[in-house]
Amino acid sequence: MDSWVRFNSQSQAKERVLRAAQYACTLLGYTLQKGGVAAELHKTVTQLEAHMSLTRKLLRLGNSVEALEAAKRAIHLSDSVLRLCLTISHLNRAMYFACDNVLWAGKTGLISKLDQDKWSQRSFRYYLFALILNLTRDVYELRLLIECEERYRASKSPPSAYPGNNGPADHLSSPSSPASPAAVALPVMSAWLRRRVHLVATVLYSNPPLLLDLLKNSCDIFIPLDRLGIYPTGKGFVGACGLASSVLSILTIVHPWLKLKP
Amino acid sequence: MDAVVKFTNQSQGRDRVFRATQYACALSIYLLQKKSSERKDLVAKLKSLEATMSAGRKLFRLGNTLNSIEAAKRTMQLSDPVLCLCLTVANINRALYFICDNVLWARSVGLIRDIDKEHWSLNASRCYFFSLVMNLSRDVYEIIQLMVQKARKGHFRQKMDQHLSENPEVAEVVIPQLDAFLFLLLESLKSHPAVALDTLKNTCDLFIPLDRLGIYKSNAGVVGFCGLISSLIGIVTLAQPKLKIKP
Repeated sequence: MDSWVRFNSQSQAKERVLRAAQYACTLLGYTLQKGGVAAELHKTVTQLEAHMSLTRKLLRLGNSVEALEAAKRAIHLSDSVLRLCLTISHLNRAMYFACDNVLWAGKTGLISKLDQDKWSQRSFRYYLFALILNLTRDVYELRLLIECEERYRASKSPPSAYPGNNGPADHLSSPSSPASPAAVALPVMSAWLRRRVHLVATVLYSNPPLLLDLLKNSCDIFIPLDRLGIYPTGKGFVGACGLASSVLSILTIVHPWLKLKP
Repeated sequence: MDAVVKFTNQSQGRDRVFRATQYACALSIYLLQKKSSERKDLVAKLKSLEATMSAGRKLFRLGNTLNSIEAAKRTMQLSDPVLCLCLTVANINRALYFICDNVLWARSVGLIRDIDKEHWSLNASRCYFFSLVMNLSRDVYEIIQLMVQKARKGHFRQKMDQHLSENPEVAEVVIPQLDAFLFLLLESLKSHPAVALDTLKNTCDLFIPLDRLGIYKSNAGVVGFCGLISSLIGIVTLAQPKLKIKP
């Protein structure tokens, strides 16, 4: 099984390049349609996109096994939240790839009379669940890092003389001056918000793997949301998001240190 | 350039599996059509699968020209002149083959419209044929070198004398020199399985362009079988790097 996983991972790079090209075609097709160019060029681009999609399905034929192996590895993680998120995410990915393989068999004619819409919807549902769990994991990691950063900042700067300026509980404590609460709360809120945003930005800037993974998953989530009809955005936006997430994942392959672990 | 080559190398394993599947389909189609003309739907499915594999592989091979050019640059620096010549010319021909293949892919998806598909297909087969001939020349050179090396070894001569004196009455031993030559050849190949596998792979592969160019017309079954064997050997050499011929 181990040797199969190693074998499998060797074609991930090309698959990502094909994905980038496929979503570039989607985006290009949408732009051409809006620009009102010749139907023939638009048809060529659409055909190219379909050809790349089918070829990618062919390339993904063994990925269910790889996802199951990843789920098996994720069960041994020590952190319980990470363990839960990653294991279920990999299991959903395995189901997504299984549905994808069935779709490929249907499209190439190996299985006749396949309800392609039904299986397509199924595969996108599993993909959506996997992405939601990945985003949950990203948010959890972000929260842990923010807490670390807060503790570090608190230990670095000594507590100030004014008790009202200590940390995010500011807006809960009653103001010492007799001025109206609303007039004081708003600037206090915005100061807290600004500090919070600065904290998140610092944490993300110093953890590029987490930032990349968060961006990638956020871009990716629009694809199943559009295909399942939950939040339709249109072909152009889906193409742009797909292209962005493919480019980000190519970056993580070319620079392995940018990949979020585990 | 180096990064691009490393990148494109990563899908070689999958490509070999798809190639094996493609030629297995071709062989199965030929056998099914020979046996009975009844199982038309199965034949149709196999044809569709073969076409999908072939089209998919053409797309995967889009970056391989650079790969071959880099390989040619590396082989130009080999010290042995025969190896240098054979491998460099083989790699250049492979690069030309991939260029023709890329043009054919662009034609099949409709990016380029007015090119002569048959002309480019024949050119691709010709380049592939020349690269295989060069690879086989290299194999023959390596085998000759191995045989010469082995013949010089003292304990091998003892083995040879023992073999020749074993069964003098056997009918096969008509020409002792031929028997000695074959024994030397087989012993050399047995001790260097990488060379043996590479020779077998190139010989099997040779039937494909020979049939396509009309030089030695076999049939779809032979082409499918040879393609399948060479793909399986390719998978084995990838899975067991010891069995891959070097350089």
